[in-house]
Amino acid sequence: MTPPNPPLAVQATGLGRSFGDTVAVAELDLAVPTGAVFGLLGPDGAGKSTLIRMLATVLTPNTGSAAVFGHSVTGDRAAVKPLIGYMSQRFSMYPDLTVAENLEFFARVRGVSRSERNRRAATLLESMGLAEFSARQAQHLSGGMKQKLMLAATLMHAPQLLLLDEPTTGVDPVSRREFWRILAGLHQDGTTVIVATPYMDEAERCTQIAFIDRGRVQNQGTPAQIKAWVPGRLFEILAADPRAALAALRGLPEAASPHLFGDVVRVLWQRPDDPASTIVPALAGVGDVQVRPAEMDMESAFAFLAESATQAGAA
Amino acid sequence: MRATLDRIAAIVVKEFRHLGRDPRALLAVVITPVLQLLLFAYAVSFDVDHVPTIVVDLDHTTQSQDYLRQYQGSTFFTVVAEADDLAAIDQAFDLNQAHLAIVIEAGFGRQLAGGGTGEVAVLIDGAEPTSARISQAYTVAANQLYNQQLTRQWADAQGLDLSSLGMLEPRVRTWYNPERRSSDFLIPGLMVVIIAIVTVQQTAVTLVRERDLGTEEHLEVSPLRKGELMVAKLLPWTAIAFVDVAVIIGLGRWLFGVPLRGDLGTLALGSALFVFAALGLGLLVSAIAPTTDTANILALLIAFLPSFLLSGLAFPLDQIPTVLQWLSYAFPARFMVTISRVVFLKGGGFTQVWPELTALAGYAVAMITISSVLHGRRAGR
Repeated sequence: MTPPNPPLAVQATGLGRSFGDTVAVAELDLAVPTGAVFGLLGPDGAGKSTLIRMLATVLTPNTGSAAVFGHSVTGDRAAVKPLIGYMSQRFSMYPDLTVAENLEFFARVRGVSRSERNRRAATLLESMGLAEFSARQAQHLSGGMKQKLMLAATLMHAPQLLLLDEPTTGVDPVSRREFWRILAGLHQDGTTVIVATPYMDEAERCTQIAFIDRGRVQNQGTPAQIKAWVPGRLFEILAADPRAALAALRGLPEAASPHLFGDVVRVLWQRPDDPASTIVPALAGVGDVQVRPAEMDMESAFAFLAESATQAGAA
Repeated sequence: MRATLDRIAAIVVKEFRHLGRDPRALLAVVITPVLQLLLFAYAVSFDVDHVPTIVVDLDHTTQSQDYLRQYQGSTFFTVVAEADDLAAIDQAFDLNQAHLAIVIEAGFGRQLAGGGTGEVAVLIDGAEPTSARISQAYTVAANQLYNQQLTRQWADAQGLDLSSLGMLEPRVRTWYNPERRSSDFLIPGLMVVIIAIVTVQQTAVTLVRERDLGTEEHLEVSPLRKGELMVAKLLPWTAIAFVDVAVIIGLGRWLFGVPLRGDLGTLALGSALFVFAALGLGLLVSAIAPTTDTANILALLIAFLPSFLLSGLAFPLDQIPTVLQWLSYAFPARFMVTISRVVFLKGGGFTQVWPELTALAGYAVAMITISSVLHGRRAGR
């Protein structure tokens, strides 16, 4: 037995939560090492938000247990709360208060001293490019700025664990990149981040990922590991009518998980041979097609994992 | 302790900022009470005088004219019409022109002169029972007076000295409100109702609003305790309610001339406890109401009707059915109406109203505790 080193930021065992008859999270095990940027991936309704809210102590689990830096989220909430920063999926600042007033309020409720509040607010607003908007009411901010304000409010008490529930959903790509630049900075400083995201490019930026479906962790590992789990090689098929090509490819058992990616079709080729020799004749009815190898990315890995999870679930 | 106070201060400051950013809310809490007081005090009056009266004199004698003079000369009655047939009464009642009719039968003068009984018909419009009852009392009194007058005249004519005749005369005096002005009686009670409406309504939406905004979860994650949240939510409204109390007392004294005879300190203490109790009731609504709309309607229902009907403001509490009397204890208004009237009119203080003060204090503590628990249970769902 080796002692856990580095210590775990989050350890969940058999964690479960239902709403009436709907099981949101079931027998979920999770281990998040300190200092990780841990991505929670999964389709809508997979249980990501429920998991995050249980870790944030706002929701009580029905079964199992979870600990944040060794403190139980049910038995020792008071110890957990100061350590965490929680950012909900929905914009939830006071719309009629200004940016500065929101930061001031949430920090003060968290017990941050006045001098520390002023110092942190200035630093955060500066680093997030919000400084010039500090006197603006939160309701008049753009989508990206709203998310940054929420993140700033979450960071005012310098939490050791950040719980972010789809923080960039509905935010433009430039703001998203900026948001992740900020997260990278926090990661540098040693903050542990758990982030639920529907975006595959964001998943690539995580140090570790858990793929969640129907309330359970289906796969967990680094982005490279996750991609490596996907069996087969990724190929792209270019066709004049990609939808017809997709339909035809569904008939080929060797071409696993065919899906549209922009206007090309991607498949995971399950045999070691050159797929062109099989695919080109099979798609003769669709017209001229080209087959070329592609780099495996999270998008395709996710599509494959989601599909195989669905099949496993159906079986 | 310092941390607790700091967290409470954070929320109090925030609540005042919300209010400052919302001119309509500010208007609602400062102007509405004044408007309500003026409206209620002027419109809801139980004073009955200048009863519009129609007289039908079928006799046309000096006696009948003399009899009718007492109606014409009195401030209790205003003779709005004189008619010669009974159909005119129907019409005047239907059109709301008169609520009282005096009909003198033909032969009235002759009967009186001949030592008989002069008959007078008094018809009262009973559509408004209170004023009907008072009109009746006035009329009966007026007729008794006239009878005495007739007796005296007869005695004079007979050369009798009535001073040797033993007579009974009740000396009726009304205490605390000698003129029985209804504004003296109403305004101390109205103050209570108005404060109840303003405060319950405002706090009822406050917790629901946090839930709607999603900020409730952020407060959940913070070290803020439920009790601290409740107290912090109450404090700004307590301050505002006190401003309202001051405005109402001021208006009552200088505009309506309501006397403030008792101990101001007791009134202030009572008001503070009552405000806490009413706000606690609002918080309870807020803690259990699923949406802002529900909260608003519930608050109106709880604040308005019971404060009006079950507080003793409009109806004396010992006159309403027993079940309703019990029910009235479920709302803090009844205690405060008593305190307010005792202090304003009877010149009372702590020694007179300590039971009510204690009841209000207990009520406030119970409400805040219950809403903390219920709110906590909801959030932990």
